[in-house]
Amino acid sequence: MAVLAHEPVITQSHADVTRDVVSTLEKPSTGYVLITLGAVGMFLVGALTFLILVKDGLGHAGYQPPVFWLVYITTFVFWIGIGHAGTLISAILYLFRSPWRTAVYRSTEVMTVFAVMTAALFPIIHIGRQWLFYWLLPYPNQRFLWPNFKSPLLWDVFAITTYFTVSTTFLVYGLIPDVAAVRDKVSGWRKLVYKIASAGWVGSDNQWRHYSRAYLYLAALATPLVLSVHSVVSWDFASGIVPGWHGTIFAPYFVAGAIYSGIGMVLTLIIPLRRVLKLEHMITEYHFDNLGKLVLLTGSILFYAYGMEYFIAWYSGNPYEQTTFWRRAFGSLWWAGWSMIICNAFVSQLLWFKKIRTSVTALFVISIFINIGMWFERYVIIASSLSNDFLPWAWDNPNPTWADWGILAGSFGWFGMWFLLFARTFPIVAIQEIKEMIPMPRLRAGGGHH
Amino acid sequence: MLTGCSTDKVQKLIPYLVQSEDQVPGVATWYASTCTECAAGCGLHVKTREGRAIKLEGNPDHPINRGKLCSRGQASLQGLYNPGRVKGPLARGAGGEWQEITWDDGIQRFAAKLSAASGKVAVISGAGRGTFSDLLADWTGALGGKVTRYQPFDHEPLRTANRAVFGRDEVPAHDFAKAQYIVSFGADFLETWLAPIENQRGFAESHGFHDGKMARHVAFAPRMSLTGQNADEWHAVTPGSEAALALALANLLVSEHGADAGGIGASLSRFTPEMAAKETGVDVATIRRIGKELAEAKPSLVVAGGVADQHRGAVELCAAVNILNYVAGNIGQTVLFGGDLQAGDSAAGIDAVGAALDGGHVAVLLVHEANPLYALPASTGFAARFKKAGFKVSTSPYFDETAAQCDLILPNHHSLERWDDVHPRAGVAGLMQPVMEPVFRTMATGDVLLKVAQKAGGALARFNAPSFEAQLKNRWAELAKQQGQADAEGFWRAAVQRGGLYGDRPAAAEVKMAAGVEATYTAPAFDGSGEFYFAPHVSSFLYDGRGTNKPWLLENPDPVTKLTWHSWVEVHPDTAARLDVRNGEIVRLVSPQGAIEAPVCVYPGIHPQVLSVPLGFGHTEYGAYAKGRGVNALDLLGAKSGQAFVAYLSTKVAVEKTRKYQKLASTEGNPRQLGRHIAEAMPVALAAKGLTPAEADRAEGHPEEEVNTERELEALKGWRAAVQQRNQRGNYAGDHPQWGMVIDLAKCTGCSACVTACYAENNIPTVGEEEIHRGREMTWMRIERYWEGQTTPTSAPEPRFVPMLCQHCANAPCEPVCPVYAAYHTTDGLNAQVYNRCVGTRYCANNCPYKVRYFNWYKYNDAAWPEPLNLQLNPDVTVRARGVMEKCTFCIQRIRGAQNQARLEGRSIKDGEFTTACAQACPSDAIVFGNVNDPASRVRQLKEDRRGYHVLEDLNTRPAVTYLAKVLHRSEA
Amino acid sequence: MARRHKVLPGVLGSFEHIDAATDAIKALRAGGHKDLVVYCSHPNHELEEALETPVSPVRLFTLIGGLTGCTAGFTMTIWMNLDWPVLVGGKAFASVPAFVPIGFELTVLIGALSSVLGVVLLIVLLGKRGVMYDPRFSDDRIGVFVPAPPESASTLERLLRDAGAVEVRYAAP
Repeated sequence: MAVLAHEPVITQSHADVTRDVVSTLEKPSTGYVLITLGAVGMFLVGALTFLILVKDGLGHAGYQPPVFWLVYITTFVFWIGIGHAGTLISAILYLFRSPWRTAVYRSTEVMTVFAVMTAALFPIIHIGRQWLFYWLLPYPNQRFLWPNFKSPLLWDVFAITTYFTVSTTFLVYGLIPDVAAVRDKVSGWRKLVYKIASAGWVGSDNQWRHYSRAYLYLAALATPLVLSVHSVVSWDFASGIVPGWHGTIFAPYFVAGAIYSGIGMVLTLIIPLRRVLKLEHMITEYHFDNLGKLVLLTGSILFYAYGMEYFIAWYSGNPYEQTTFWRRAFGSLWWAGWSMIICNAFVSQLLWFKKIRTSVTALFVISIFINIGMWFERYVIIASSLSNDFLPWAWDNPNPTWADWGILAGSFGWFGMWFLLFARTFPIVAIQEIKEMIPMPRLRAGGGHH
Repeated sequence: MLTGCSTDKVQKLIPYLVQSEDQVPGVATWYASTCTECAAGCGLHVKTREGRAIKLEGNPDHPINRGKLCSRGQASLQGLYNPGRVKGPLARGAGGEWQEITWDDGIQRFAAKLSAASGKVAVISGAGRGTFSDLLADWTGALGGKVTRYQPFDHEPLRTANRAVFGRDEVPAHDFAKAQYIVSFGADFLETWLAPIENQRGFAESHGFHDGKMARHVAFAPRMSLTGQNADEWHAVTPGSEAALALALANLLVSEHGADAGGIGASLSRFTPEMAAKETGVDVATIRRIGKELAEAKPSLVVAGGVADQHRGAVELCAAVNILNYVAGNIGQTVLFGGDLQAGDSAAGIDAVGAALDGGHVAVLLVHEANPLYALPASTGFAARFKKAGFKVSTSPYFDETAAQCDLILPNHHSLERWDDVHPRAGVAGLMQPVMEPVFRTMATGDVLLKVAQKAGGALARFNAPSFEAQLKNRWAELAKQQGQADAEGFWRAAVQRGGLYGDRPAAAEVKMAAGVEATYTAPAFDGSGEFYFAPHVSSFLYDGRGTNKPWLLENPDPVTKLTWHSWVEVHPDTAARLDVRNGEIVRLVSPQGAIEAPVCVYPGIHPQVLSVPLGFGHTEYGAYAKGRGVNALDLLGAKSGQAFVAYLSTKVAVEKTRKYQKLASTEGNPRQLGRHIAEAMPVALAAKGLTPAEADRAEGHPEEEVNTERELEALKGWRAAVQQRNQRGNYAGDHPQWGMVIDLAKCTGCSACVTACYAENNIPTVGEEEIHRGREMTWMRIERYWEGQTTPTSAPEPRFVPMLCQHCANAPCEPVCPVYAAYHTTDGLNAQVYNRCVGTRYCANNCPYKVRYFNWYKYNDAAWPEPLNLQLNPDVTVRARGVMEKCTFCIQRIRGAQNQARLEGRSIKDGEFTTACAQACPSDAIVFGNVNDPASRVRQLKEDRRGYHVLEDLNTRPAVTYLAKVLHRSEA
Repeated sequence: MARRHKVLPGVLGSFEHIDAATDAIKALRAGGHKDLVVYCSHPNHELEEALETPVSPVRLFTLIGGLTGCTAGFTMTIWMNLDWPVLVGGKAFASVPAFVPIGFELTVLIGALSSVLGVVLLIVLLGKRGVMYDPRFSDDRIGVFVPAPPESASTLERLLRDAGAVEVRYAAP
């Protein structure tokens, strides 16, 4: 396997790895429990808000025609985007055999699954008659009504379902050998649980033979998803005629943004996590440096995309586009427009400096900026574009309300709840892949490759 | 919600033991009737379903409105079903509290009081001239009392001036259709002045663009009313100075254009253009030019009214206008005397009543169809005097300010529930008939009078008709005799069926200028020392305040300011800048009589020295919708109007800033077109040359906007053909009608009658002020008003109206994005919306470039029609649930209805046999609907018009709605 | 850990050193013991080489699954649009470009699921039952199990210990 120049030398033995990782599954500290409960609380806030929306109608939210989509779709795209980094790291970097992914990919994969799980709630929350969301599915019915496959929203349904299923499969699949390892360490009822979860894994040559092969194909299949899912999401907008949406640049622009925001969220999550779970020696500067480079790359692509949007608006001579982008910068939503450009295009450029890339604190702060900036990017694309389209007479500006913030908070609670529970139940670091990187002891010195 | 019936009425609805022949469930029954919302007396066709009136339309036979109906007339339905109606006779108990009583009891009490009144009886009635008014007069006379006929805005100054100048105590008819040149001194003849619908029809005919010609309309007024917005030229004049201008024009005609002075030339000569310019603020050149144009155009028409004839110089102004019309030779041409029957006693009469009350000469006071306690300025102290009456009886169907102060309320039927007639002008007698069971426990006042007469006996004993209906039939039997009809019964039945007696306007009377008429002008005096003229204006929806209890009229945006649900103060932009006040900033207007607070509405169409507030708000009673809504502009007016009429424009006010704000409930987004060619307009010269709007645009030297090159258009055609080919399957195979619409912006006046019609026809919910703040109005059809040009006092802004409704695009952007096919294209070219398939993703609305899709954010259908307003709902149209998208359907229920009828009769649909609600209502006939595939159809013909264009054509949505560009009759000078 | 049902007789040697394990495997295979079961906590190339493991046939499942998904996607969308022809936005009923995303997503979805299914089937079908196991194999030990009758056990133990097995156990029925 390719060896990078400054790839860290892992000093532990296989036994140490197993011990360290299994130790993360011991009884959590009170602090950890409290944080988890906090997440549950936030989720309940969202749940309550949702109930009110179902009871009275969407009117509570800040929709103000012509702005018919607002915070819910914004947050939907935000969470979908988050997911992408996980798949990128676990699938694409796997195919490129880049060794630094090993320590972090499990946590990113978990993030992906729960982020997509969160996002998947929003198409239901945001529609007018939430209880009829299943009408979007092509299920056989006595009247032979089929959904409209020309609608980008239908593409969405398929893209998200696929993405969720595949990434979940990928996660669980990779988890099985590790669960087996845990099974063989613990005792009592937990042993029983992990025994069932490990589905009779013993790590025999026959099992590894099929397992590793299929893992390769799963990675190969997940890879195009990274590009496709957010492209499809971008077409929700790009196939509309709304000025500010109707652009061919949208697919690559969204994909880059997705990965950018995803890595941002990865940093936000694993920087505290590695301390709580005492994994500093496994997730090291070296990993952050590489993540930082990814942020820099994708951030710069965004920079280009933003610039290009304005350039085309001017160059095309299309009056509608021009008005839209003028108002995006200087209209009533200017603050959102600028926070998006500053948080994404500018802040990411700081990562040219290795000092910053390797400073955990700096990265954490930047990652917060990224999260905020990317949420605003979607808010701007949706709210700002809709608020001034073709007929000036209809123009109006949205006003988000408690109903919007309630659901937003709920989504973070929902995501955090699952993530925190997972991190204490299953190995958040991939035991068997780490071991794969550690040479096994030999009787005869030297010789052989590992 | 079940439309058309509320569950508790179900037993009454269907099971007729013996089905009455005019009630077939599911089939509409139409009755002819007459509108009583103003004095014009338009004819009605009332559509009833299962015994409920559900829509009012104009009566095509009626000579005044010819099948059209204004917003107020249509909203009369919401008066019929108004939750604020008095549900039955009420009497004030010992403790002053209201108690429900029986009719017998009520009549008993009334009769007793009358018997004891010993002649001290007074009656205030707003009823138009007709059988009832005559009965009331006799009846009161028999009691030794007198009926004071009182209507706000009864054009007393006009009447007085006509007495003075022509010796005729009447209001003439005005033929706008014939006029080649129209000069209006503040007359809002498209809104409330005399017979607005008749005026508007005439105006559309003369001022609309026909074979290369159109009339010209010049308006002088301190405030640009909707009528002013429809002028080719509007000049803000100093309030009260219009008479000088009118006389100066007359002088010009006489001195420079050789018109016949009718013997008053001498008194005219001092009214030079220079003098008029000084008085009014209009520059001399303009005055001279208009004088010239006026002289050249024959016939012309000059009218005065609205804010202009509500100041103390109003009589002089009307006299001046009479003189101007006379020298311009319009008398007998476009100003037609000899038709008027109305005669009011006006404020003078009210003063008399007041005096009688003071003198304690009123033991019993009956108030009928009038609300003086609201309509008279508080400073007149009439409310206090009113209390001095011994026993006060009201017949108001609504619990209004006056009824609230009475001792006994004997609620009258709504005009749709009773027999009655009204004679708005010679030769025209409109009948009213009960079109349905009374909604509440009310009784026609005519019957009350007769019953009371029988109870009281004595002098009243002779009023012994069995019922008012009988009285009415007798009266019409006489009418039959006058008409030389032998068969009275047949005459009656024919009249009931047709809606009344619709004779033609009698030949114009010969009118000579009275002897010794002098052209006079004195600048009118104003009360108060404030900086600004206070000009309350008559709202075209609320009128004298009787519209304020009808949600349609409150939510349908005011045609001038596009504001809803609340009062406002119109301030000129420059004045606003000077005072440093912004839209929505609440200011306090202070006059010697009092102060009111209302939010600022910066409005370019007003004289910088003038502040204007709509009348009709600030009710203290009159039902939940009206009570406490907005402020009453009358509170600022002085008691002594000085004339025999209330001079609304007689006060100067000071402005105090409160630094409080209120979000304006406006439906206006950005009122500028940003060069997007939404409301196209072209000069009459170019239109006459047959140029298209785009060509005209280029001809005027504007840069050409590249839309599609010829080759691109070719490609598009090919592509369309290919797609149409591929789409010939399923229901789409074969030929189908293609429904389309043409809207002529040269005719559209922005009056918004179409919007109200749409509300009524399509069960559109009113959402209320809060939701309007969030831009969530549901008006399927809206009138967009864009401003062109500058808004400085020197160059008045130019408004452009665009009725915006679903364009039913052939390439509808809303359709493909719907994931469940709730939005799709029907075989006959409609853009359909399937409510019960819609899940509410709202993508369609985002993707609609015309923004004509409306979403049910809440359960609007719960709140919009409190009992019994829900009885008005149209059973043919689904009431939309929360969470679904809705939009204009081209009145698909009417299309399918007509198609079914045609199928039953085994024929195809005839052009014009039905039309959409908006087209049906449009007073200027600007909207035409029909089958575009029928080469003979009117809509197809109009689509060929060179003025035709599509809004946002460059999006290639291929709308089914074609607009004909407005034509601007700018002055050549 | 052996299954409830019958235990497969044989010898299980566990190693701490990779080269020892590979030596043992090579020796055993030379001695005609081809049906070994080798345990390891992670996929190890040296062991694979020693065992000369052939490439897994699981890729067939992936391929077939993917193709199925792709066809399903396009046939479903096109058929449904022709089965219920509704005109939207003046577009053709079966407008294939709009259906590409569906076809693509289903390719990935069914492809992935069938690969996992493949793995499960192959492991269940080709795997041996009742083979002796030791929990440390999932930690840091390598296990080599030689199915053999009890009589040849002693020779095998010697072979394993010579190769460097730290521990040898017998599995008896």
